[in-house]
Amino acid sequence: MEFKDYYQILGVDKSASADDIKKAFRRLARKYHPDVSKEPDATERMAEVNEANTVLSDPEKRAAYDSVGAQNWAAGARSGDDVRPPPGWNEGFEFSGGDGNAEAFRHAFHGQFGSEAGEYSDFFEQLFGRAGRFQAGRRHGQGSTQMRGEDRHARIELELIDAYKGTERSITLHGVRLDEQGQPPVPEERTLQVKIPKGVKEGQLIRLTGQGSPGFGGGAAGDLFLEVHFRPDTHWRIDGRDVTRNLYVTPWEASLGGSVQVTTPDGAVVEVTVPAGSGSGRKLRLKGRGIPSASAPGDLYLELDIAVPGTITDAQKAAWSALAAAYPGFDPR
Amino acid sequence: MTTNIPTTSVPAELTELLDDAALTLEQLARGVRQAPEWVLTHVKAGVLHPAHGQAAAEWRFASATLLRARRIANLEHSFDADPQLAALTVDLMEEVAALRRQLTQF
Repeated sequence: MEFKDYYQILGVDKSASADDIKKAFRRLARKYHPDVSKEPDATERMAEVNEANTVLSDPEKRAAYDSVGAQNWAAGARSGDDVRPPPGWNEGFEFSGGDGNAEAFRHAFHGQFGSEAGEYSDFFEQLFGRAGRFQAGRRHGQGSTQMRGEDRHARIELELIDAYKGTERSITLHGVRLDEQGQPPVPEERTLQVKIPKGVKEGQLIRLTGQGSPGFGGGAAGDLFLEVHFRPDTHWRIDGRDVTRNLYVTPWEASLGGSVQVTTPDGAVVEVTVPAGSGSGRKLRLKGRGIPSASAPGDLYLELDIAVPGTITDAQKAAWSALAAAYPGFDPR
Repeated sequence: MTTNIPTTSVPAELTELLDDAALTLEQLARGVRQAPEWVLTHVKAGVLHPAHGQAAAEWRFASATLLRARRIANLEHSFDADPQLAALTVDLMEEVAALRRQLTQF
């Protein structure tokens, strides 16, 4: 595990004042905020910046970090892939200061589900993980001997059909395992096989009880919240549980009306009547054919789009001319 | 180096699709890593809104409110932002996200 240069990440030197660190953090937090940044690696950079700020803005953590230093870290005891800080690195430091909301972003969720902004690295977990857990417990008013595990959050991307039929997904969680002897925690991975119920909608949360961080001293485990998002799809527009798709019709179907077959998002084929005299943009509602829900299923809207064929043959051109002649007073403008 | 990642199947009874009014004040506070007083203050300020309930003990928050509260708390922490300013920023973020979604849809 490599030493992380938090000063370099924030672009400040080691003599930087608290104010310098705050300014550097805010500048980078604005630049890499995952909700607004267009940088391709914004989420990862924001996580680094958050982590660096969490350490350098806290005098106790900063002092502990400085005391370890790159050289000492490199000289730390190694055992296979498990690298630990040098013995006694944390003596004399009591992590009493809470770092507030930064604790909300301690854990990483990887794989096809993306990752959460502000996650902390294994390096950070090795240095501060145990202390951070005690802080979290104190904030919730629990004793240090028994505390509930932290809730965790992850983002999942689904296809629209998953909302109609439900699905099953694997989620790989990157966390840490606490050592009963009080040693710094070690990185741990686990995979959850999760059934996603049908009826989910954009931005909705799925709570997996007890699948968050483990409790401490017999405390209950936290919950894992999965935030649902749909993959962008040019075929559908989704608003809550209502779904809209466009439906191409011929000029004569729009004008004369008729019955057309439509495939719904769950793959069913339904017969739909297009009313005579329909114009482009008219919406036909298929009640209850949106995203399913026991209490309030959504509707499926079909937005008509009149497709005009290219005129190819002389006979077809003549047919359009005859049509124009049949509507001498028609002026859509 | 991890070679075998343990896999756990989450029982269906532990998987809950949160409704529009599912979270209590305490659950919301825990999800944001803040004290319940933080939620109370933000509701009184009109920054967060319970979906149901009159008294604080009866409040139930939509799951979308948890996401919103997490963003607000993050902005307050990162920039020492006033709650109203953080809420305004989150309003704009949500608007941008909705517009970006529209761009990717037909």
